[in-house]
Amino acid sequence: MFPQALHYSIADAVNRFVDWLVLYYGDAFREVSDHLLQLVAGIEGLLRLCPWWLLLALVGGLAWHASRSWRRAAVLVGLLFLIGVVGLWDKLLQTCSLVLVATLLSVLIGVPIGILLARKPLARRLLMPLLDVMQTLPSFVYLIPVLMLFGLGKVPAIFATLVYALPPLIRLTELGIRQVDVSVTEAAACLGANRWQSLRHVQLPLALPTIMAGLNQTVMMALSMVVVASMIGARGLGEDVLTGIQTLNVGLGVEAGLAIVALAVVIDRVTQGYGDPAQRDGRIR
Amino acid sequence: MTIIKNLLGGSLLVLGLLAQPLPAAEQRQPIHFADLTWESGSLITELLRLLVEKGYGYRTETLPGSTVSLEAALARDDVQVIGEEWAGRSPAWIKAEGEGKVFALGDTVKHATEGWWVPEYVIKGDPERGIPALAPDLRSVADLPRYKAVFSDPESPEKGRFLNSPTGWTSEIVNSQKLKAYGLTDSFVNFRTGSGAALDAEISSSIRRGKPVLFYYWSPTPLLGRYKLVQLEEPPFDAEAWKTLADARNPNPRGTRSMPARLTIGVSAPFRAEYPELVAFFEKVDLPIALLNSNLADMSEKRLPPRQVAERFLREQPAIWQAWVPADVAARVSGGL
Repeated sequence: MFPQALHYSIADAVNRFVDWLVLYYGDAFREVSDHLLQLVAGIEGLLRLCPWWLLLALVGGLAWHASRSWRRAAVLVGLLFLIGVVGLWDKLLQTCSLVLVATLLSVLIGVPIGILLARKPLARRLLMPLLDVMQTLPSFVYLIPVLMLFGLGKVPAIFATLVYALPPLIRLTELGIRQVDVSVTEAAACLGANRWQSLRHVQLPLALPTIMAGLNQTVMMALSMVVVASMIGARGLGEDVLTGIQTLNVGLGVEAGLAIVALAVVIDRVTQGYGDPAQRDGRIR
Repeated sequence: MTIIKNLLGGSLLVLGLLAQPLPAAEQRQPIHFADLTWESGSLITELLRLLVEKGYGYRTETLPGSTVSLEAALARDDVQVIGEEWAGRSPAWIKAEGEGKVFALGDTVKHATEGWWVPEYVIKGDPERGIPALAPDLRSVADLPRYKAVFSDPESPEKGRFLNSPTGWTSEIVNSQKLKAYGLTDSFVNFRTGSGAALDAEISSSIRRGKPVLFYYWSPTPLLGRYKLVQLEEPPFDAEAWKTLADARNPNPRGTRSMPARLTIGVSAPFRAEYPELVAFFEKVDLPIALLNSNLADMSEKRLPPRQVAERFLREQPAIWQAWVPADVAARVSGGL
């Protein structure tokens, strides 16, 4: 047994801190939350405005543009169509808008941080352990305080998704930039490129396949958080999975679960298509 | 390549060593209690475990799980006792009970209730904290449409927000049907909270900030012992109307109070046959709800472990629990505390 004399618990201090935060800053946090909520609601409204066939056509076009393969585009559109057939279209849109906002925020935050980490070894040493924490800390541990501050629903869900899904994008952006051959950047510098030009026109394009692989992982992990998101009141496909589990309605759970998988396959193929230049140019089909 | 070979070989070796069969247990198996995660469930479980361990000398253990999976485990005898079972609520339970695999014993907490609540300051205001009375005439569910702006939902501000119970609970269906029955679907959003933790966090956060909130809740719970809450009036209980509320597909539900809950101790069929003395004890368990709520509030406020609260309860309230067990058992428990 561990000696009793060495026991020290931080639980009380953390509890008091959260109580204090809610009491004095709760209303301010709610305001921030309302702004973010409007963004999500806006995207959801936009998706809802589109008729279903237009959305399918858009996804088909995007899939074709990414892979230049008609067969693949048709299969992906077929998958989404099937989600609609089982009556989950509305929930699909809700999940989509959540994942979309989370992904956009991930790119906005993750790519710059990844570039920073690739250039500054000190930042890398400091931030890498933080990324480990983000990926392994059980989500409900930070979700409940976040929930008390931001309120129920979509905003804490996006927050949770960000915490969990951001690390792969940061890691792979950093890896991609670092793996760019030094001689190439030196050549660019010799030709008179400044640091920004070298980053913009040499390093980022060369690192793009790795960054896209990171983005792909981020979206996949965002989708895997959909069920957790529904546990804090965000509606969508996760809600049906949760209902299925809690009422032992295995059929309902499988239906919604497969819908999440189908959505994941669609997003995965499209982002991979863009990440693999050889495939895009039509050399590999 | 050699690294990969070493890695594979090493993993195989370790797994092989770990997979040795364990020596067979000679002793009688301990009694497995369901490790219930909500407060009243965990407190009742610890009370029962203490009495069984100290009074009857059996070893006990707990197994964690969600309500539905624990009910399924009880039917398979993987768990022998569920300390707080809202008998007759979940389809899994009804099926297992019909097949004679599980039994509901006793009536552990009388006057257990569920309904719709608001904090008292929403109606009366709280001059000390500077909160005005936002809904002074709110008495019953019929008054709610007038006050929808008070409970405004940030996701669709023209409606009020009603915090329904977590997705997939039986009460979620009842509450959704009640919203229809009371004609509130146009004025209130049926907000499913996803999990008990999320519902609790939202309520406590609102109360701490002095904001209005309308929610479904149930008793016995620490929340009801801890905060001043007002239950909204509903039409008196009517069994026929209740059937229309419990059926999610009924298009024209009629409003009524919820069916009075019966809290029991769930046991598996093999347990019932093997431990008749414990069955007799479980059938007598009767906890006064006010006392239970105040203990729960204390436990939650001071964040005490349930076992500690259970031990204190046994020390402080001998008159209550000594009526459940024979005198010799009671003496052994008192001696062991």
